Amino acid sequence: MSLWVDAYRPRTLNDLQYHKDLSARLKSLASSGDFPHMLFYGPSGAGKKTRITATLLELFGNGVDKLKIDQRVFLTPSKRKVEVNIVQSNYHIEITPSEAGNYDRVIIQELIKEIAQTQQVDLNAKQRFKVVIINEADSLSRDAQAALRRTMEKYMSNLRIILCANSTSRLIAPIRSRCLLIRVPAPSKSEMQDVMQYVSRRAGFDLPPDVSDKIIADCDGNMRKCILVLEALKMQSPDLTGDVTIAKPDWELYCNKVGDMIIAEQTPARVMDVRAKLYELLSHCIPPTVILKTIAERIVSRVDEAIKPQIMHWAALYEVRMRNGTKKIFHLEAWVIKVMSIYKHHFYGMDLTELMEDF
Amino acid sequence: MAPRKASQTTTRKTEKNPAKKQTKSLLSAKLDAPSGGATRRINPLTAFLNVPSSASSSQTSQTKDKGKGKAKAELIDLTEDVNEQDTTAGQLWVDLYEPTTEVDLAVHVRKVNDVRGWLTESITGKNKYRKILVLTGPAGTAKTTTLRVLARELDADILEWSGPTTSGFADVSGDGDEDSAFAKFESFMARASSCNNLFASTSQTSRRQFMLLEDLPNILHADTKDRFHSLLRSLVLQKDGKPVPVVIVISDNGMRGEAIDERTSAGGWIGDKSTAIDVRTVLPSDLLHGQYVTQIRFNPIAVTLMKKALQALLTKRFGSSKTQQPTKEVLDIIIDSSNGDIRSAINALQFSCIVPKGAKKKRVQANVVMESVTRREQSLALFHLIGKVLYNKRKGDAPSPSASAKDVQREKDLDASLKDKPLLPEWLGEHDRRTSRVDINDIYADSPIDSSLLGLYVHQNYPQFCNDVDELAALSENLSWVDASGGEQWYQANPYRFHILTAGTLHALPSPVERRHQKVFKPEFFGNLEKEKNAWSSVDDVRRWVSTRALRDPNAWRVGGWSRNSIVTELGGILKARDATMAKASQGSKDANERAPRQHRDFSHLPFVLRSVGRVEQLGETEEDQQDGSMAWDGTIDVEDEAAAAARVGGWLDSDEIEE
Repeated sequence: MSLWVDAYRPRTLNDLQYHKDLSARLKSLASSGDFPHMLFYGPSGAGKKTRITATLLELFGNGVDKLKIDQRVFLTPSKRKVEVNIVQSNYHIEITPSEAGNYDRVIIQELIKEIAQTQQVDLNAKQRFKVVIINEADSLSRDAQAALRRTMEKYMSNLRIILCANSTSRLIAPIRSRCLLIRVPAPSKSEMQDVMQYVSRRAGFDLPPDVSDKIIADCDGNMRKCILVLEALKMQSPDLTGDVTIAKPDWELYCNKVGDMIIAEQTPARVMDVRAKLYELLSHCIPPTVILKTIAERIVSRVDEAIKPQIMHWAALYEVRMRNGTKKIFHLEAWVIKVMSIYKHHFYGMDLTELMEDF
Repeated sequence: MAPRKASQTTTRKTEKNPAKKQTKSLLSAKLDAPSGGATRRINPLTAFLNVPSSASSSQTSQTKDKGKGKAKAELIDLTEDVNEQDTTAGQLWVDLYEPTTEVDLAVHVRKVNDVRGWLTESITGKNKYRKILVLTGPAGTAKTTTLRVLARELDADILEWSGPTTSGFADVSGDGDEDSAFAKFESFMARASSCNNLFASTSQTSRRQFMLLEDLPNILHADTKDRFHSLLRSLVLQKDGKPVPVVIVISDNGMRGEAIDERTSAGGWIGDKSTAIDVRTVLPSDLLHGQYVTQIRFNPIAVTLMKKALQALLTKRFGSSKTQQPTKEVLDIIIDSSNGDIRSAINALQFSCIVPKGAKKKRVQANVVMESVTRREQSLALFHLIGKVLYNKRKGDAPSPSASAKDVQREKDLDASLKDKPLLPEWLGEHDRRTSRVDINDIYADSPIDSSLLGLYVHQNYPQFCNDVDELAALSENLSWVDASGGEQWYQANPYRFHILTAGTLHALPSPVERRHQKVFKPEFFGNLEKEKNAWSSVDDVRRWVSTRALRDPNAWRVGGWSRNSIVTELGGILKARDATMAKASQGSKDANERAPRQHRDFSHLPFVLRSVGRVEQLGETEEDQQDGSMAWDGTIDVEDEAAAAARVGGWLDSDEIEE
């Protein structure tokens, strides 16, 4: 039995529970015979990949879900071998180039060229083209994006590309302009409520609405997270009645406590304590941007209105630094100290003009 | 001494042969005979053949040889004179005095017991899960030696694989060569595991044996790695016959703290796994976390154990006569600088014994020589570099209370030579600083580390040198800026990182820095990086588990599967819940695939403890520094102070030697 998120996922465009108009549009697009390159974007857990899957099924019918996993080895110009896992059917292929780190350009070029130069041989295929799905497209390096841009024009006749990303801001403009942009917004609360009820029916139990409300309030419109939390909750307390508390993941609680530590004391010794915590979070693979965001939100919820913008300003700045630099801890810590300094000055009513000069 | 005498006659013949290799192999063969060791490595240090005259003379006189120390044995003059010298001159002590019994091992008793327990269980076939043993640990921690000693003790044969020597790089591109090399390895494995009774059958008792893999095939090559993995898997799953247990020895090649290390392991990039040989590349993850593989980790050899072992070696060599032995200080330096690597310690010891020992003057020289052989000089330079930067001395600072009159004078001279910079305009007044005594170009030229590692050292230590949050903020801002400067490619790197980093740090630190007995620590960064790397491989394991289950379920198909980040941030809760309910529901009756790989704890469990006990390692100038802790860090910044401190601690450094 796989996870509920995977098991009760809608398969066709008709099954989709929300964003019905988007589904209708995708459906007519798939049947029009004039299918463009597409870029699905939206927050995580909104249903981008579910919609891509359903669109594929609409395009090619059954057969697209007969999958095999391949491991391919690519040779970089520096003779280094890069392994990538590739999931494919007869009609499509999907890759996650971010798995190859800096060498994503090689993979994009080699793989897409290879697919583009082979014609669809299956005469019964509904479409003459193949589809390449690129996951986590916003983590593609600039090189790879530039390589993709040329390929998209050149091989339009037998290849369509579907990109999936959280936001378009990290994609270069030429790619954005070559794709049909499809935004998949997060579902509304009532839509999420419907889905939760549907899942619990399929799983064979009754979900009290107040419990699902609690879960939804906790999940920020992330449907996947909602269902995962529901499944975990059901496992822990099978009857779901009475007062259920939704346990946050460990790392979130941890981040919140780190935020409290920062507000409680601003000294060099406390900096060392916070550093130990940050190291702990990083060595548990929590993405540094997530750490920064969670701590920042916690702090902002607990400080005076006047210094909130500054805290966020510096969080944004250090996030950029984090992307350019190599040592995440430097930037996280620099931000923590900055917040301490801002908080301390504000707390003691000191003159802020000095700090403002940096803006 | 017995083997030496035994070989006396043969050497007379062999040493006439100018082919050194042959000489040595014969020698060692002769020497090995009584000890019964397996293979010997060829001595890479031919230097010991050209033994300085006095060293050989001292040895000869010690062993009461008839040569009467004919000190004329210049270079490798193969005359009769040489023959009368110590016949073991061409041998490394590491090989010569390799321990043969457990008592001689410098390894902790518990580790030896662990390995012995495993070996007995596997060889006797008592425990069917004892198929592969992996010994890991830094180089020179007696991993292989322990095995050999135990093999002798258990009366077992070691079947060791030694890779074929390929000739140069003539055919790098040809995969055919790779194949044939691996084919040889395969056939070795097959033979070793099946044909174990070639000689044993004749003498009814079946000899006990195990396989030792130290020289692994080139597993950095993806195909070879796959084949190696499948070979190991088939070995483990082999049901018929009596399988031969396999012991794999893997030495860690520690991270060196260069930018590339972080880049490759930053942000979870799968490619990084293939760049280093470690347990995770040598063994497939299903085996590594399976029940057939046991991993035993060797730690660097403890100071006390090492001291004991070296002393024992010296007594073996020189008997009770104290005059020939290196002084206690030399021994301490060797142990200090070896970082728990006993092989390098013994090599250094051997080297120190061939340094001429005559007048007092020469003894000092011996210490200087030791400096250049051991790694001590480097750590000393690093210690002072960090000190110079973090203590931020500026023109006109009051001398430290511990400084001598000479030091004070020197500081004054230095100040006189420093020119004052013009004052900044009023609106920049807050950035005015007195002229620094630190010359950045100087320390850059002398620095033993690159800017990346300097950044880590500064980062690890700066909070204790600052007084308030604003100084911290300026300093950390600078660290962050420097780290983020430059581009993605190596040619876009900022060439002035070192200078900017140092200048920015000096600018941000208070002046003068308050003396609070600050201690300098080594960066925790790499330990955490290692942990993160392990956790990422756990994430990958869980991801594989989730996606294979989803693939098997026809309804669950979806594009993309799980990204690593969503596994980390969203799946943790459900994995924990699963663990809890599974443990309650049934103990192992369910099919193994239902259960998530238990490595998921590496990222899903994160209990919060307010004050965690860090495992920070102090950067020691000397070993004594770390032990008593009273040797605080003040007063060792300037050149004179350094020498004074050094002299105070060990007495092995004279002030006029460091001042250049």
